[in-house]
Amino acid sequence: MTAVAAPAPAAREPRPVPWTRLAWVTWRQHRVALAGVAVLLGGLGLYLLITGLQIHSAYTAAVSCHPAGSAACDVISRPFASLYHTAQIVSGLLQVVPVLVGVFAGAPVLARELESGTFRFAWTQGCGRLRWAVAKLALLAVAVTAGAAAFSLLFSWYYQPFFAERLDGALAPQLFDLRAVDFAAWTLAAFALGAFAGVVIRRTVPAIVASLAAWTGLNFATALFLRKHYQTPLTIKGSPSYYNPPWVVSQWYTGPAGTPVSQQTIRNLIAHAPASVRNSVNPAEATAYLSAHHFTMWSAYQPESRFWPFQLIEGGWLLVLSLLLIGAAIWLVRRRA
Amino acid sequence: MNMIECSGVSKRYRRSWALRGCTLAIPGGRVVALVGPNGAGKTTLLHLTVGLLAPTAGRISVLGGEHPGSPAALDGIGFVAQDTPLYQNLPVAGMLQLTRNLNRRWDQQLAEARLAELHIPLDRKVGKLSGGQQAQLALTLALARHPQLLVLDEPLAMLDPLARYDFMASVMAAVADEAVTVVLSSHALAELERVADYLIVLTRGQVQVAGEVEQLLATHRTLTGPASHVPDDAQRLRVVHAGGGQAQAHLLVRTDQPGQPPPDGWQSHRVSLEELVLAYLREPGAAALPGPSARAIQNSGIPA
Repeated sequence: MTAVAAPAPAAREPRPVPWTRLAWVTWRQHRVALAGVAVLLGGLGLYLLITGLQIHSAYTAAVSCHPAGSAACDVISRPFASLYHTAQIVSGLLQVVPVLVGVFAGAPVLARELESGTFRFAWTQGCGRLRWAVAKLALLAVAVTAGAAAFSLLFSWYYQPFFAERLDGALAPQLFDLRAVDFAAWTLAAFALGAFAGVVIRRTVPAIVASLAAWTGLNFATALFLRKHYQTPLTIKGSPSYYNPPWVVSQWYTGPAGTPVSQQTIRNLIAHAPASVRNSVNPAEATAYLSAHHFTMWSAYQPESRFWPFQLIEGGWLLVLSLLLIGAAIWLVRRRA
Repeated sequence: MNMIECSGVSKRYRRSWALRGCTLAIPGGRVVALVGPNGAGKTTLLHLTVGLLAPTAGRISVLGGEHPGSPAALDGIGFVAQDTPLYQNLPVAGMLQLTRNLNRRWDQQLAEARLAELHIPLDRKVGKLSGGQQAQLALTLALARHPQLLVLDEPLAMLDPLARYDFMASVMAAVADEAVTVVLSSHALAELERVADYLIVLTRGQVQVAGEVEQLLATHRTLTGPASHVPDDAQRLRVVHAGGGQAQAHLLVRTDQPGQPPPDGWQSHRVSLEELVLAYLREPGAAALPGPSARAIQNSGIPA
């Protein structure tokens, strides 16, 4: 090199290593993990595809049967009912897929480098550790999220006949986070938690355990406490119709004064009702008895129509949380001194 | 151009100081040996120069004014960390391709030629290579980036004597071919003596000795004489370390006039680099620093 004497400004700030080359590095180092994710999602997807076709054909047979409700049609729609029971078990098992995929793809990315000492190699190469970390985390996050999104599309198709038959509400907790944007968002959150735990804890297995625990806690807290407050519930007198099953958040009674009364008051009242009311199998009798005494039942519920707003709210905050966690992980890589 | 310049560099980990007030200027074109006891801060100093760590206090610049960790500094420094961490599950060829894709500068021909010369098969997994081969691979990956500065952190620690010899031969060949400056930390004093022309002794996080090897050897002498007749002017001699038995005393002294005759009844010998380093390591209070920062030797552990 002869141009040492007067380096041009361009030579002082060299052109950064192209992203495509870092993408190759990411692929080369994480292709086994990505293949694992692909095998898991692909295998489950294949199962959904095969059983989904059975469900759809059983559904077509059941709805095209005339006259509906006849004994013959009852026999014809029986397979559909048994497929429904299987689908419920399947949807229960699929709850763990986002966390499995996300944590196992996310936690080792930085933890393994820190654990084995190879970060001393990677972070002293010409591309610099910031670009290295951004490339790895961004590409893997996109890949894992895209895979999850494709999988949840398939699940939506698989489960669609049961929604068409109104066997489940769209807001039912075990179905809500398998559909639309939620499944992908929870997968991304698991990935981000894993990556963040990896750079903080700096060991792969403890990082996996910690992010698994954090994700599970967050998921439960969301389903049990958080989701029902995304929008103010609607309130109606009595119970909402069971034909269009909404998500009933809470129910209570008001007394003759118009103020809420305790469950104990209602129990006492029913206990002192005439035997004809107490022993009736028709719940309307008890309701009529209570309204005769100026006690009214109220229900707060989230209607089906809020499925998409709720999906977007939950997907939105999970996306923000994931970006913050990934950003924090990159910041820690950059700062770690 | 100074390859590394430290000015009052300190580094504190959670509780303890790994480096305190290190001031150094390492000129280019040297093979610099960095020695010191375990925990003296050698790795910390090297990690600061390659940008893996940032100093708690003080300033450090590399390659004549670049900030460690900046793109220009990363481009110009090849680093082989302690225990040569490489991706064990990649084949050698994959490791080359990976390093090529992580760098702007890369010489595939040089890398392949070196590995062929060393009989390291490209399709072998890195984890299946011997310790010596892994160290050579790590060195190859660093050299194929054509660095101006090569930083090696205890590259010899895991190697057998033959592998040590081969590794140092590779380093010296690179120095001859590429005019690369080398900084290497090691405990292998015998190997260092053959190759190093600049010496830094680091003790308890501070620079104890820094200077050209030739100059250091020229300004140090071993005086051997009867222990019962320690010269009267011993206090004026700058004794680095006093040792010996009941009858004979050995004084390793620092002198500005190497030609000066020894005191009566005493003999003066040249010192080896190993003797010099050991004397300073035994006396952490003694220092030999270039220029005005050299401080008087306070230690006078002379047998009475």
